[in-house]
Amino acid sequence: MLAYPLIAGLLFGLYFSLVGIGLNLVFGVMRIVNLAHGDFLMLGAFVGFGVFYLAGLDPLLAVPLAFAIFVLVGIFLYGILIPRLQQSVNPEMLSIILFFGLSQVIEAVMTIMFGTSERSIPSRELGSLISKIGKLLGASPEGGPVVILGQSFPAAWVISAITSVAAIFLVYVYLYRTRLGTLTRAVMSRRDEALATGINVDRVCAAAFGIGLALAAIAGVFAPFMFGSVTPAFGADATVTSFVIVVLGSLGNPLGTALGGVVYGVCYMLVQTYLSSWADLLPYVLLILILLLRPSGLLGRQVRVA
Amino acid sequence: MLKRVIAAFAVGLALASQALAADAPSEIKIGTLYASSGRYASISMPVHSAIKLWVEQKNAEGGVYVKAFDKKIPIKLVAYDDQSNTATAATLYNQLVTQDKVDLLVADSGSVLTAPAVTIARDHKMFLFDQTGTGASFFSKDNPYIALMADPVSTIWPKPIADFLTKDGPALGIKKVAILYSTNEFTGTQATAVRKFIKEANAPIEIVYDQGVPTETTNYTVILNNIRAAQPDAVIHLGYAPNDIAFLRNVQDVGIKFNMLFCIYPGLETELLEKNVGAKGLQHVFTYVPPSEMDYPVNFGMKMADYRKAWDKKYPDGKIEFGFNAVAGYTTALVIEKTLSVATSLDQMELRRAVFSLSGNLKTLDGTFALDEMGGQVGELTPLGQLQLNDHGHIKFVAVYPHDVATGKPVYPKP
Repeated sequence: MLAYPLIAGLLFGLYFSLVGIGLNLVFGVMRIVNLAHGDFLMLGAFVGFGVFYLAGLDPLLAVPLAFAIFVLVGIFLYGILIPRLQQSVNPEMLSIILFFGLSQVIEAVMTIMFGTSERSIPSRELGSLISKIGKLLGASPEGGPVVILGQSFPAAWVISAITSVAAIFLVYVYLYRTRLGTLTRAVMSRRDEALATGINVDRVCAAAFGIGLALAAIAGVFAPFMFGSVTPAFGADATVTSFVIVVLGSLGNPLGTALGGVVYGVCYMLVQTYLSSWADLLPYVLLILILLLRPSGLLGRQVRVA
Repeated sequence: MLKRVIAAFAVGLALASQALAADAPSEIKIGTLYASSGRYASISMPVHSAIKLWVEQKNAEGGVYVKAFDKKIPIKLVAYDDQSNTATAATLYNQLVTQDKVDLLVADSGSVLTAPAVTIARDHKMFLFDQTGTGASFFSKDNPYIALMADPVSTIWPKPIADFLTKDGPALGIKKVAILYSTNEFTGTQATAVRKFIKEANAPIEIVYDQGVPTETTNYTVILNNIRAAQPDAVIHLGYAPNDIAFLRNVQDVGIKFNMLFCIYPGLETELLEKNVGAKGLQHVFTYVPPSEMDYPVNFGMKMADYRKAWDKKYPDGKIEFGFNAVAGYTTALVIEKTLSVATSLDQMELRRAVFSLSGNLKTLDGTFALDEMGGQVGELTPLGQLQLNDHGHIKFVAVYPHDVATGKPVYPKP
């Protein structure tokens, strides 16, 4: 009875790490609150729908496509929104208003274009390309659930968890093993000092913003498989959950988000098992508890400035 | 002398007619809400779209006949978007009553968004045309300001399921039942009713799992594992359309097979569910048989086939699915039209009297409109059916209970 929710929570939580990590990266680097984060998730889901329903391809191929599209979208949006925002007296507060407005615009436009109904992709289609390649190589991969420690879980959960781990690893590599990542960490640490040392802060921030949105879009590709279906109104709930995960891990620390996601996922599955009626309260309870007991988050070193 | 009397009478009649015509409003204001986004959009937009279709049709004909003024009067639909938010809905219902001063108040679709309207309508002594809000608490003997238009009240709606389980179930081998429901007025009431009917039947049926989950639940994998552990012969899942989509997808994804599985929305919004779950995912699922499958005799309004044609013409892009809620919205419109044609004034209690006078007499594409004394709908019942695949792999309904309307035998256990 306990093993199932724990494993399910781990898989689900790894996915939630991916849901939150983009938000944390954007906040960590720019100190702006992206309230449209969930809407970029939703847009990522629609990239998945396009890849599957229009091109007839494995939705997994939407992952690199969504990444590429939303890095560019992020850089473009950064250029037209953020520098002006940063010049304001209180960019953090204004970013809340700005991105709330952006969220509303995205939802409204998508509703006009695609309607309000739920949309999804058949679960067996996720990873169908891998299955076909396996068959060509002589293997006989079977569709259906994946068995872990004697318990069966949706294959889509395992694929999304693996993708999440890969994405988190790549974020780590980006931050700690590349020159741009080093500059990004410098901006995260002290924006004014980074500017003073000649770092092109705008270029660094634009890249981080693009990557942040792209990570959200990648998470969105998996959303129809994790949540059953997606509508243009999906973004608001996803943003709230992302915030909880980010605060839980540590605001401004992208790697803390991985831990935050797993803790959230495991707690959610345990509550669903033993107190199912209360499951929806969990994000808010966790938020209150972490703010009361450890305001800097699970991996935070000090009380955050923000 | 006689000529003078007749002339005076004629002049008086003409003046009276002029006075009556002068009193007639230039339009009948119908106030309602809809949810263009959020959790209830998929059940609200079809209902709202149906009403808009009817308004457009009637206004093209010069309006609806209003007996109170003995003439056709155009309709003005005053509609606001509550975005599936009950707090917003409460504010907007108030606005419709106090600011817009609508003549008729129509609730949004579903019990969750109807709930705020029930209290507001009662407080303002406005009669509420409750479209699909079936929650039991809405209907009481001390509240004359409500009637349910298009769905059976939730306290009786699930009776065919419970009767099937308790009467046919034991012979089929059904002994243990699991109930999973979303904790809201609509499905909570249905769960209570199923429980009550099963217990009252004194049949050898045991409820081995009985849990509520938040309506916003989108993932059922762990819950399904818990249900499986209880080893039920039949699983009754009572949720809204997004709940059913997530639940049925998870059933497929985890590879669980229940001998009998009931869900509400595969029957009510079949197109939406088939699009999201797939025909195979719906195969052998038990559900309510919608009016579109029953072809009820009609004495007012369009027949199902004509309505479907009108719908497809008005909404050709397919962004809003045609299903049970599209029929419910049109049924509400027909009840309003008929009510205005028999009510002698637009006084709210007179509207109530007119609505209740239709009970048992009005036959629409949704079945026979019949109300109990509290305004609960008891006529437009939906039999229990099972979804099966035809030779072309398409979904078809097989009504299985009650036996007098059955069109086939249930497949149990699921192969």
